Amino acid sequence: MSDDIKIVGLLCNWCCYGGADTAGTARMQYPPNIRIIRVMCSGRINPSMIFKAFEDGADGVFVGGCHIGDCHYDAGNYKWSRRTKIVQDIIEEFGIEKERFRFEWISASEGEKFQKTMNEFQKTLSKLGPLELK
Amino acid sequence: MSYILAKSKDNAILEAGECGGAVTSIFKYLLDAGIVDGVLALHPEEDIYDGVPTFVTDSEDLISTAGSYHCAPTMVGDIITKYFSDKKIAVAVKPCDIRSIEELIKRHKIQRENIYTIGLNCGGTVSPMTGRKMIELFYDINPDDVVSEEIDKGQFIVELADGSEKGVKIHDLEKQGYGRRDNCQRCDVKIPRKANIACGNWGAEDGWTFIEINDEKGQELIDGAKSAGVLETKNPSKQSVEARSKVENIMIKMSKKVQESKFDDAEDMDAWKRCIGCYACRDICPICWCHENCELNKSYFKDELNIPPEPISFQGVRLSHMSFSCVDCGQCDDVCPMDIPISLIFDKLQKKYYNRTGYIAGVSDDIKPPLYSPDKIEL
Amino acid sequence: MFEIKHTLCPSCSVGCGINVILDNEEIVGTFPYKRHPVNEGKNCLNGRLSAENVTDRHPFDLKALNDAVNKLKSGSNEKTTVIFSGNNSNEDLEAIKSLCESNGFNILAYADNLKGFDSVASYEDIENASNIFVIGNILYENPLVGRRIVRAKNNGAKIYVNDNLENTPTSNIADEFTSVSVKEFIENNNIDEESVIIFNKVDSFEDLNLIESTNSNLLPVYSKSNTKGALNLVEAMSKEDAIELLNNTEILLIFNDDTVNEIDFDFKSISQIVVFSPSENDTTEIADIVIPVKSWLEYDGSFTNCEGLTQKFSSLCESDYMSITDIIEKINEGLE
Repeated sequence: MSDDIKIVGLLCNWCCYGGADTAGTARMQYPPNIRIIRVMCSGRINPSMIFKAFEDGADGVFVGGCHIGDCHYDAGNYKWSRRTKIVQDIIEEFGIEKERFRFEWISASEGEKFQKTMNEFQKTLSKLGPLELK
Repeated sequence: MSYILAKSKDNAILEAGECGGAVTSIFKYLLDAGIVDGVLALHPEEDIYDGVPTFVTDSEDLISTAGSYHCAPTMVGDIITKYFSDKKIAVAVKPCDIRSIEELIKRHKIQRENIYTIGLNCGGTVSPMTGRKMIELFYDINPDDVVSEEIDKGQFIVELADGSEKGVKIHDLEKQGYGRRDNCQRCDVKIPRKANIACGNWGAEDGWTFIEINDEKGQELIDGAKSAGVLETKNPSKQSVEARSKVENIMIKMSKKVQESKFDDAEDMDAWKRCIGCYACRDICPICWCHENCELNKSYFKDELNIPPEPISFQGVRLSHMSFSCVDCGQCDDVCPMDIPISLIFDKLQKKYYNRTGYIAGVSDDIKPPLYSPDKIEL
Repeated sequence: MFEIKHTLCPSCSVGCGINVILDNEEIVGTFPYKRHPVNEGKNCLNGRLSAENVTDRHPFDLKALNDAVNKLKSGSNEKTTVIFSGNNSNEDLEAIKSLCESNGFNILAYADNLKGFDSVASYEDIENASNIFVIGNILYENPLVGRRIVRAKNNGAKIYVNDNLENTPTSNIADEFTSVSVKEFIENNNIDEESVIIFNKVDSFEDLNLIESTNSNLLPVYSKSNTKGALNLVEAMSKEDAIELLNNTEILLIFNDDTVNEIDFDFKSISQIVVFSPSENDTTEIADIVIPVKSWLEYDGSFTNCEGLTQKFSSLCESDYMSITDIIEKINEGLE
């Protein structure tokens, strides 16, 4: 059942978390599958957090940060952007489709982009079905 | 960077050492001149298959370390970090040794000014018990009768006490599952150019050691050893230099082929399901130095009841911490009680990382692996 | 001085080699012993920690030894029992055995409800077998025998595993996995003389007879480094017999063993317990007299592993303590 798809979302406090908030206050509908965890910066997210989410039952993991150039801490999102490559490389090796991991730059005003991204991600994950770790 | 041929002036060293005995002589010079507190090298404990790291402080004892030990796949990076961080030492290094030392210098675990590194060109190493078995099977020789071994012209050659030699093509041995360790078959760094000097017999005239001087410290070493009268040198011929680079290139080409054919095996590997979660791979890894504070020991990852551990939250975490710095030394394969080919996936990811960033672990000059860099760059 | 020296792993009966790192004659860690034919440099966690786990002991006290001798003198020999543990070297076990025989003490050799067999399968037999029957989580508990099973599987062997736990490394490599009693496992499978049965625990002594009746190659994997050596000298006891003997015991001598954690018995009911131990554990905790002795890193000796291979080990460092053999000599002098 696509309704059962579990998404863990790690959202940066200054941008994407605000974007989700904007989507919420404007009553934009998006799939309720995401469980949001607010972090202070995408730069503080380690690949291991993504892996832990997958291990503990997430079917997809989403990370949202500030647009490049807009990081509240100057370069945090650059660091995260480099880590994303490592995450993609690693999950593939363990049989987790790389589409199950997604990241976007979403600013606090982009409620619509947050809505659109969630819709797309939920659709992708429903197609893939629940994650079964080997 | 320059090339020379060198030869020991000490007859005993010349006799015991490999091709010219330059390495042992340079160690002798460093010890006698009081430049280092000691020399970290291998010596055969029981026999030639049992090379064990030893710390020599008296140059008289150096003779026991002379010669090559292809059946002693050791690693010195972590030993230096743990036991020699406060000493001035000289150390003999294979390419993977010096690469791990470089990575540890970047992590402030080894002080560059405290170590002299004498590189040994390396075509690969053989696990001791594999070596013994293959000598029995393919050479029809009792492995205990072998007095020395070497790798030359694509062959693994053993020498008996009567001076007779027998060689078998490494390629043939490896087709049957013997020969060099898996990681060595993939390794494409054959000359340790980050060491102060890199020594070997490739391209050398008989009885001489071919030395590539890699940096100023290396030049000082050679000059010092010469003026101390332990070493004689001459310039290599053009053919010598070309022959050496030909050997190197052939070996690298062979390794790349192996990489291509093996890397796909890393996905869908079902060996993880027999993992007993003993952490031997982590604990032996020269790059994984922060064991006390390891994320895998944190309560949110440590799960002693869940054995085998979920690969993504065990090897996955380790891969994310250090695979970009993997020097492909193969120690993790060697110590895994369950024979899981762990190094394959780490090496594969370091090569993927290289393709994205151009960073070769322990070879590239960057101060830090790009993942840690504060620079504003995306990949 | 930095040194690396060879020794044997004392953690179980597999008989792995291990290198010990000494820095200024102090043991600081272990190092893979890749030349060792049993394990090729591979050790489990217990093995890698074995040298570091040798804890500080109380200083040796001659008075404690004299007290122990006096207790033995005043006690009844028929009510004196000696634990015959596979943690001791063959040489120490000989000394313990002769102490018991010359004084008429009871010998208690308990080996996890297993016993000794005259002929056992070798590790090479495992790798060459085509059908392997495994009882227990061998891959996890005795990894370096487990590795031989993995290699056998890679050689094309069929692996049958019986264990009460699912999704273990051992069950994961099984071609057929069951969670039944040992009796059912043996009876339900067609086990021929070419097969190898590897086990490290059974429900009862009757199971052992049943396993033996298959006439196949057997490999009992004991939990202590020299249990095989101990059982070459004396017969193993079943749990029931062990408890009965303990019920009739007034003085209990324990040589290098953590007996209280192995036999479910009210040890407080025994009036005198004398423990000779290289380390502190729950057994020294309840003892009336504790006499510290050398650990295996401090004396020369030999262990016989579960496939019957006897391997020597040497003293690696100086020690202020006495070995069990020396202690027994002192006891004999005192008893004369």
